Amino acid sequence: MSLNPLPIHTSRFGGCTLTGALSVTTHIRNTASLVHGPKGCTHHNFSLLHATGLDNDIVTLPALVSTALSESDIVFGGEGALLRTLDTVAERDIDAIFVLSTCIIDTIGDDVAAICSREYGIPVIIVPTAGFLGGTFQNGVANALCAIAGTAAPCPVNDWVNIIGEKNLEYEVEENYAEITRLLGMLGIPVNLRFVHDIAFEDIGTLGAARLNILREPALLSVGDYLEQRFGTPFIPTFPVGLSGTLSFLEAVAEIFGITSHPAVEKELLLQTDTLAGFSDLKGMAASFDPAMSDPDGVKSFYEVAEALHIHLKQPGTNGVSLGPGTPVGTTGVRRMLHRWRRQLHA
Amino acid sequence: MVMKQIALYGKGGIGKSTTSANLSAALSGMGLDILQIGCDPKRDSTRMLMHGQFIPTVMDLVRVRGEAPITLSEVEFTGFNGVRCVEAGGPEPGVGCAGRGIIATFQLLEKFGALKGDVIVYDVLGDVVCGGFAMPMREGYAQDVYLVTSGELMSLYAANNICKAIQRLSSRTKSTCRLAGVICNAKNQPNEEELVAEFAKRVNSSLIQFIPRDRVVQLAELNRKTVIEYEPASAQAECYRTLGKRVMENTHFTIPTPLEIDELESLAYSYI
Repeated sequence: MSLNPLPIHTSRFGGCTLTGALSVTTHIRNTASLVHGPKGCTHHNFSLLHATGLDNDIVTLPALVSTALSESDIVFGGEGALLRTLDTVAERDIDAIFVLSTCIIDTIGDDVAAICSREYGIPVIIVPTAGFLGGTFQNGVANALCAIAGTAAPCPVNDWVNIIGEKNLEYEVEENYAEITRLLGMLGIPVNLRFVHDIAFEDIGTLGAARLNILREPALLSVGDYLEQRFGTPFIPTFPVGLSGTLSFLEAVAEIFGITSHPAVEKELLLQTDTLAGFSDLKGMAASFDPAMSDPDGVKSFYEVAEALHIHLKQPGTNGVSLGPGTPVGTTGVRRMLHRWRRQLHA
Repeated sequence: MVMKQIALYGKGGIGKSTTSANLSAALSGMGLDILQIGCDPKRDSTRMLMHGQFIPTVMDLVRVRGEAPITLSEVEFTGFNGVRCVEAGGPEPGVGCAGRGIIATFQLLEKFGALKGDVIVYDVLGDVVCGGFAMPMREGYAQDVYLVTSGELMSLYAANNICKAIQRLSSRTKSTCRLAGVICNAKNQPNEEELVAEFAKRVNSSLIQFIPRDRVVQLAELNRKTVIEYEPASAQAECYRTLGKRVMENTHFTIPTPLEIDELESLAYSYI
């Protein structure tokens, strides 16, 4: 039984809600993420965040604290342990504490909100993260983004954009961000806030200033809706994916800003033609890939690129090289994907 | 003799603790070594055996001591006629997880080697609200489960619900837990004994003892004693002794067949 519907439009159907939330909260500098639960929940996530962080050249350790609950805390309730840990962590020279619950906490019904509503001298922000409630990694990300957004007040709007919900654990997180800034740069639009990727706690106050929010992927629709409701900011539901997706992204952004997209689209089209021309050696080759492994937008972009290069895509399991999953962000994302394809097809 | 482990389940307030304490007292009178374990955070199961004393509970000690060791002598107390008494205890109402407290208590008692003697009587919280309170019915603990009920519909309803838990547990391959009988702790309704006997039959069991309502039970309680101790010559005391004898001689253990609610209601209706 699950009382919560699964997020749609994502390949990340599984995963731990807590991990998803921590992938967000640990990207706010000089804050602590307090995991209310047994030690293992924290250790496991610390290792995972540290390892994936190293892949992205992040050498700082994730600032996690555990309430380290034991059996008697479960029997008598974990509220005392939470209070003690919060008191200790609040003495550090940090800007905020995020409190993340675990499965066992929502099972025994600790009143986390009541404990967190006391005065600690710094903001204490609750992120609901009990995974057994049907949540996934993606729910954790969304819950964290909404909880953090709740600390920001509406403010005067500028002519910039926010980037919402970058996948901080993905290998190409910086490359994808660079591609978005390149595309926005063609339209002369700067980025207001990376919400949330390596920011200061006080930066969150500017969240409402952007004229447009760009979501990383459609699985974050609920976050886009929440931000629109709270700050009145419209949103584009996804980073540009594939060739035509990149062109329509430029058009959509330009339309919201009331500017023309023609010069940018023309320039980008030239880049795309140029990019494809560089991979003409793949023409006529046979390949397959498993659509079940990819996001729906990724699937579309795969077929589009294959068609443009006259690569014959066959059913998975039949002859031809099996191409790995991936969602190419922007034209440079397509180019990186084609480099991977070339390595696989010529292997 | 082989150690007998019995558990009493039933609706809250139906008289499980009174029946358990008197049963333990009666069994001890037969020269048996008895251990009674109260499995309810309310911790009042063994109070009459302990002459009104609320003994420290296992969970109280775990809470105070933390990691420091606890010994058996700190949680097991000797009451009336040598009956050994343990209270599981648990969290304050409204916090934590009482079910986990029961599991933790059982593990601790097992570690102590406390689960020994001729008979262990488990007196369990009224509603089997979660897995923790079904612990006494699990493998290695109580084999004989007795339902305590009156003829009132709500009490029968609770007993029927507990049948569902027993049915589920007893169908497991290694399970030795069986329904051993129904004890009618009467409210002095008309046709009450017949109704409860019929209920017992319908759930594939039998009425093992009818305990009439008697003022001596309240008087004994006010004097902080079991009936066996307070008025040993009374008919009520004899009734508990008969129950003890039947429990020891009982060989009729079944997998229960719980009733549908409609069937239960029409059964109760037919004995008005």
